[in-house]
Amino acid sequence: MAIPMNSYDLLKSIVQLSMTSFPISIKLDRMVQSISEAFPSARCLLLKPEEITRDGFLFRLASEKEPLWVEDGSSFQKENVLPEEESFLYPSFACIPLNDETTSQGILYLGFPKPHPFSPEEVELLLLIGEVMAGVIQNEHLYQKAEETISELKALHEMGKAVASTLKLENLFPLIVTTGLKILKAKGGVLRIEDKRTKELKLKWSVGNYHQHPLDEKIAKRVFYTQTPLFFNHFGEEKPSFSILCAPFLSQGQILGTLAFYDKDSDASKFDKKDFQLFLMMVNQLSLAMENALTHYEISNMAQENEKRVAQLSTLWELNKALLTTVHFERILHLTLTAITIGEGLKFNRAMLFLVNEKDRLLQGAIAVGPDSAEEAGKIWDTLSREKGPLSDRIAQFTSPNHSHLNEIVKGIRIPLEKEQCILSRTVLEGKPFNIQSHQSKEGGAQIGCDRGCRLGSEVGCYVGEHLSRDPKVYSFATVPLMGKGKVIGVILVDNLYNQNPITEEDIHFLSMFSNQAGLAIENAMLYRNLEQVHDELKETQNLLIQREKMVALGELSNSIAHEIKNPLVSIGGFARRLYRTIPDDTMEKQYTQTIMTEVARVEKILTDIFNYTHDESMAFKPCNLRNILEESLSLTQEKIAAGKVELVKDFSEEIPQINGDSHQLRQVFSNLIHNAYQAMKGEGKLSLRLHSIAKNGTSYVEVEIADTGGGIDPENLHNIFNPFYTTKDKSLGLGLPIVHKIITSHRGQIEVDNHPGKGVNFIITLPASEQGRESRCQMAEDHP
Amino acid sequence: MKKILVVDDEESIRFLYKEELEEEGYLVECAKNGQEALEKLTVFKPDLVSLDIKMPVMDGIEALKRIREKERHLPVILCSAYGEYKQDLTTWASDAYVVKCADLTNFKSIIRKLLDLS
Repeated sequence: MAIPMNSYDLLKSIVQLSMTSFPISIKLDRMVQSISEAFPSARCLLLKPEEITRDGFLFRLASEKEPLWVEDGSSFQKENVLPEEESFLYPSFACIPLNDETTSQGILYLGFPKPHPFSPEEVELLLLIGEVMAGVIQNEHLYQKAEETISELKALHEMGKAVASTLKLENLFPLIVTTGLKILKAKGGVLRIEDKRTKELKLKWSVGNYHQHPLDEKIAKRVFYTQTPLFFNHFGEEKPSFSILCAPFLSQGQILGTLAFYDKDSDASKFDKKDFQLFLMMVNQLSLAMENALTHYEISNMAQENEKRVAQLSTLWELNKALLTTVHFERILHLTLTAITIGEGLKFNRAMLFLVNEKDRLLQGAIAVGPDSAEEAGKIWDTLSREKGPLSDRIAQFTSPNHSHLNEIVKGIRIPLEKEQCILSRTVLEGKPFNIQSHQSKEGGAQIGCDRGCRLGSEVGCYVGEHLSRDPKVYSFATVPLMGKGKVIGVILVDNLYNQNPITEEDIHFLSMFSNQAGLAIENAMLYRNLEQVHDELKETQNLLIQREKMVALGELSNSIAHEIKNPLVSIGGFARRLYRTIPDDTMEKQYTQTIMTEVARVEKILTDIFNYTHDESMAFKPCNLRNILEESLSLTQEKIAAGKVELVKDFSEEIPQINGDSHQLRQVFSNLIHNAYQAMKGEGKLSLRLHSIAKNGTSYVEVEIADTGGGIDPENLHNIFNPFYTTKDKSLGLGLPIVHKIITSHRGQIEVDNHPGKGVNFIITLPASEQGRESRCQMAEDHP
Repeated sequence: MKKILVVDDEESIRFLYKEELEEEGYLVECAKNGQEALEKLTVFKPDLVSLDIKMPVMDGIEALKRIREKERHLPVILCSAYGEYKQDLTTWASDAYVVKCADLTNFKSIIRKLLDLS
C-alpha cells in the first residue's frame, strides 16, 4: 500500500514542529495531528508513560523498547492484554515506544480499521518520527530540569544574599523563616535555637501557628537530639493532615538549633523529595550564616558586658575619688551612703550603715541616707539630675543635712551579733551578701526573719505597706558586708522602696565591690579618729603633767615661804591689834594701825589660798544637797546684792538629787563664783542662779548655772582663766577660778564657761548625782592613792 | 588664876601670846621647844598648854605624846601655821587644833571653853 502523503512532507512537518517554540503539549498534539493527516484512516495517539497501565502489554513494549507491527489483528496473541487495553486491539496497529537512553517517554500508537501491511518505507518513516518525538520530549525534560535548577539556585542565592546582609540575630531569624517560606512555598515555618546557658531549645521565630501544634516541639526536639533531618507527610483520616520538613543547623559538628517548614502552599499541601533536597541545601547554607550571627551576637554581648564593666569601674573610680577627699569619719560614712544612693552611683533609693562594736558584740546603727517619702525622693533626684560636673565632686559637695526620720531610727538600732535569725548579724557572721524579698507581716512591717518588735522589721522595713501598692506586698532589700582589712566591720543595707526597682545580682555584685573600697576608707577614718583621740588625750595628759610639775614646784616653794612668813605675820598682825586697842579713836595712828591689820589679814588669806591650792586637801565626801549649799554660798554676798542694784534671779528645780561631795569645798566654789559675778557687774546688773537635774547617756547629773551681766570675759583671756596666778584684777592673786576648777574636777564634775563678750558670762557646773558620785569617789581613790 | 604654858620656837609669837593671855587674866609661862615644855610642866603645873607643832629639838607632836603619858586630862591646844597637820591622827590626842592667825579672838575663846570659863 502506498503512503497517502509524501513521506518527505510528513517528516519535514514533524521536524519543523520539533523546532518551534510551542509548549511541548501543543508540539506533540500537532505532531500527532500531522501523522493522523498522513494516515487518514488510522486512529493516531500518543500514550504518555503515566497513561500506560503497569503489567499490560503496552507497558511490556515500553520497557522492552521494541516497536510492534501488527498487520492482521486476528493473528495477534492476546496474552498480557488488560481489559482497559482491549480498545487498542485494532485489526491492524503499530506501537512505537519513544525512548531516551534509559527511560520510556511513552508510546506512539497507530490503529487501522482494516488489516494494513506496513511497507518498509512506512516502518522506517514511523521509527524516524518516533525518534524525533522522543527527542522533543527529552529536550523538554532537560529544559525543565535546567529551569528548575536555575530557579533553585536563584532562590538559594537570594537567601544567601539576604542572610549575609545582616549579623543581627533579631533580623536574621525572621529573614530565614520568611525567605525559606517563599522558596519552599510553605504555609508556615518555625525556627528554634538552643539557649547556651540553659541548654534548652527555644522558639525564636515562627510564621503561622504551627509552633502550637502538639507535634511541633516533639519533632524539633527529636531532630535536635538525633541531629538527623526529617521529612514527614501525615495524611491520616482522623487527625488533620500536615506535611513537615525539619532539619538541624549544624556547624563544625555543633548543633545550633532546628528549622521546620509546614504544608506546601498548593492543593496537595505536600512537600516532595525535591523540596526536601532544596530544604537541606538551604539549611546547610544557613548554618554558616547562623553561626556567624550567633558568634557576632556573643561577641557583641561580651563587648556590651565589657562596656558595662568599664562604666562600673569608672563609676567606682569616681566614688573612690570622692571617698579620698576626707579622712573625717562621719563625712566618710555620709559620702559612702550618698554614693550608694546617687543616680549615677549605685542608684539605690535608701541606704543604711551599721557598724560592728567588737567590745559589746553589737551591731550599731551609724547612719542612714534616704528620703522619708516618695515626694521628697522625687525632689532630691530632680535637684541632683540638674547638677553638672564630675560625679566625685558632686558627691563630695553633697552635704544635705541628715535629719531624716530614717537616720534617727537607724541610729537607735542595736542588734546583738549572736542573733542568727537577724539578717544583719548573719551578714556579718557569714561575711556574704543577702538579697531578700520579704512579705509584709500581719503587724504591717516587713517580715525579715527577725523577732517580733525588731526595729529593722517594724520601722526600717517600715511603713512598707504604705509604699507598696501592688499585691502581694513584697519588700525587697539587700545587705552586703562592709569589709575592713581581713574582717567584717559593718553592714550596708539598701532598698528601692520608692521606685521599686528590682535588686539584681549584678547590683549586689557592684555594691559589694564598692563596699569593699568604702570599708577600707571607713576603717582608715576610724583609725584616724582613734589616732586623733589618742593624740588629744596625750596632749591633755602632757598639759596636765606640765601643770602638775609646775604645781609641785610652786607647792614646794610656796610652802617654805608660807611657813617662814606666817609666824612674823601673825606677830605683826597680833601686835597691830594690841596697838589698835590702846590708841584713842579719831587719831591718825588708829587709822595706820587699822591699815596694818587689814593688809596683814589680806596677806594671811593669800597664804592660806596658796597653801590650800598646793596641798591636796583631803575631802570629806558626804551626800549633800546642792540647794542648801548654794543658798549658804549666796548668803555671804546676798547682803551686798540687796544693798546694790543687782537683780537676783533664782530658778531652782523642785526635785534635785543629792550629790556626793565635800560641802565645805563646794561652798567655796559657789561663793567664789557668785563673788566674781558680783564684782564683774560693779553693783549693777542681773545675777541668775539656776539649779536643775539633767540626764546624759542614761546617767543623771545636777547642773548649776551662775550667770551675770558683767560684760563677759575678754576672749583673749578666756583660755587662761583656770591657770593659777593669772588675773586681770588688781587685788587678786589669780587662784580663785583655779581652785574652783580643782574642786569641781576632784568631784568628777565638769565646769563649762559660756562666755558672751560685752554681755556676760555663764558658768555651768555639772556634778554627777549621788549614785554616780560614790562611784567616782572610788575611781578617784584609785587615781590618787 | 589659871596657868597657861605657851610653847613656840618663835620669840615674837611667845611674846604676843604672853601679852594677850596675861591681859585676859591668865598666868603665862613660855617654853621654846617640846623639851623645855616637858621640863616646865612639872615645875609650873599649867592648867592648859598651847603647843606649836613645828619646833626644833622636840616638835609639838612628840611633846603632846609625852604630855599625854603624864597628864592624861591636861587640856592641850595644838597650833600650826596652816591646817597641814589636820590629817595627822596623833593630833587627835589634843583638845583643839588652831591655825595661827593675827586675830586671836578664836584662839582665846577656845581657851576659855577648855578651861570651862565661858
